[in-house]
Amino acid sequence: MLAAALVAFGLIHEVHSASTAGAATRLQQLPAAWRDDQGNAFDLHGLLGHNLALTMAYATCHRICPLTMQQLQRLQRDFDARGIDAQFLVIGYDPEKDDSAVWRQYRKTRHLTRSNWHFLVGTPATVEQTARRLGFEFWRYDEHVMHDSRIVMFDARGNLSTAGGLAPRDRSWMTE
Amino acid sequence: MQSKQLSDSHGIRRWAAVLLLGGCCHPFVARAALDDTDRVAVLEQKLDQSLRLIGELSARVRDLETQVAAQNSQAVTAGGPALGGAAPESQTATEQRLVAVEQTVTQIAAGAGQRAEDTGLPLHGFADVGVGNHNANFPEHKGAAVGSLDFFLTPRLGTRTRALFELNFETAEDGAIGVDLERAQIGYQFSDSATVWLGRFHTPYGYYNTAFHHGQQIATSLRRPRFLQFEDQGGILPAHTVGAWLTGSERIGDARLTYDFYVGNSQRITGRSLDMNNPGNAHGSAIVGGNVGVLLGGALDGLKLGVHAFTTRIEDQDLIPAYVTRVRSYGAYAVYDTDRWEHIAEFYVFDDENLSGPAGSHRSEAGFIQLGYRAGRSVPYARFERAALQQSDNFFAAQHSGTSYHRYALGIRFDLDLKSALKLELAQTQDSDRDFISYDEALLQYAIRF
Repeated sequence: MLAAALVAFGLIHEVHSASTAGAATRLQQLPAAWRDDQGNAFDLHGLLGHNLALTMAYATCHRICPLTMQQLQRLQRDFDARGIDAQFLVIGYDPEKDDSAVWRQYRKTRHLTRSNWHFLVGTPATVEQTARRLGFEFWRYDEHVMHDSRIVMFDARGNLSTAGGLAPRDRSWMTE
Repeated sequence: MQSKQLSDSHGIRRWAAVLLLGGCCHPFVARAALDDTDRVAVLEQKLDQSLRLIGELSARVRDLETQVAAQNSQAVTAGGPALGGAAPESQTATEQRLVAVEQTVTQIAAGAGQRAEDTGLPLHGFADVGVGNHNANFPEHKGAAVGSLDFFLTPRLGTRTRALFELNFETAEDGAIGVDLERAQIGYQFSDSATVWLGRFHTPYGYYNTAFHHGQQIATSLRRPRFLQFEDQGGILPAHTVGAWLTGSERIGDARLTYDFYVGNSQRITGRSLDMNNPGNAHGSAIVGGNVGVLLGGALDGLKLGVHAFTTRIEDQDLIPAYVTRVRSYGAYAVYDTDRWEHIAEFYVFDDENLSGPAGSHRSEAGFIQLGYRAGRSVPYARFERAALQQSDNFFAAQHSGTSYHRYALGIRFDLDLKSALKLELAQTQDSDRDFISYDEALLQYAIRF
């Protein structure tokens, strides 16, 4: 009974996560101007035409973000096996602490160096706007950023197709 | 009598000077207020303009959508692609324009929305409850216990001004629920590398005291090291300071240098516990301290090393006349915090001097080492802590928890989900002076954030 309740809660939670995504349902509705981990300007809208998996993270998170990264890596392996092209975006929650150099180091130490992975730094305003529009809830507790695990996916036309927690089940958005 | 008159005369002069200064400043304050009023008016005007622009652009989007729909309808009616290349090209251009206009509307609406949402204040916090053969903080009690309910408020006040308030409801040793404004700090961020806070903050000594606060869900272990507990839970250090705190960090190559300098009211001992003197103290003495650390990068990514020191003058107000102690503390810490490991080691030395009562200088030491392994949702940890506190040092002798001790602890934290954790700790504690008490503990804690 308890197990059934927990499973039901998990399913409800997942559906709820997807349905409460913020206002943005298209990639074009998000701020375009970012900076990547090399310090170069990055146009988010330039990724139109690609499938996209997007999450948010902060570099000194050792509890939730590593699990999200593992989930993204599993997704990447899944795509590779099925021959699907996709871009992976990680947007930093805390641009004041996590600058390009921090993300460069993060990628290096965690071996996340594939060229289709992008770690983006914005301004506090663009980060908050993006988080709000995509349903990434977060708040700061001193050095910590309190947040959940969430991955959202856009199809090649820039439409938001799936949003979920650590285990997004619906992968129907994939364009093979 | 003469002295009293002199004192009064000085007091009157001081107040006169303050009033004169206030009078001089008044025009500037008034002008600043007028400036603010003007700025608000200008902002309101801009907001109105933005909203009008949103309306116009929305209307334009509707027009364009109508045009596209009409063109599509014509294309279908006329056989679509048979019309030739001009129509699809025109349609693509229109769609692009549509997207551009939509983006503009989105950005402006988001900007307007941002201002509207800034007036709200989200409420977040932490809570924990526990059960054990002893209370985690007050070992003379056994059974189930309410830990704390901690509300955390960080109102947004603009791009530079910061504010942080932590309101904590917690169980005291006598069972009463106490309410403490654990932190109340307002700060100004000069740059990414320098912020000045004023108010009551967690004294930035060592690592633990500013890395982990009152929310237990954040911490790996079930409780803080005993000597680093908060003042009303058995801590022997001034965990809170009321004063000013300059803090920041600066990147140096792959590494990051962190620094803290602070000055505030010197604390006192009352009711056999430290008190941070929220309203100020009677004698004007201060606690002054600093903390410098370096967060290494490259192959040593995750390793932080630092040193810290403070000095303060503590009055034991439980005695009449009060005993006074000059407390000088310094130490070092090392932290290795990665996706796999969480190791923390801190060491404190106290070179204290009794300024009244039994004279003398005394050296005491305290420290702990905690090793943690992050294995997915669970984090097993081990901790050893030890304090060797001279009982002839007024500062420790006056405190209820100022006894020497050592403690071994083994524990595990298990994340039930992203917002709640269950922690189990087995510990053995031995007080090595005063009553020489020894006790074993089995503790369970359920901690959440919201």
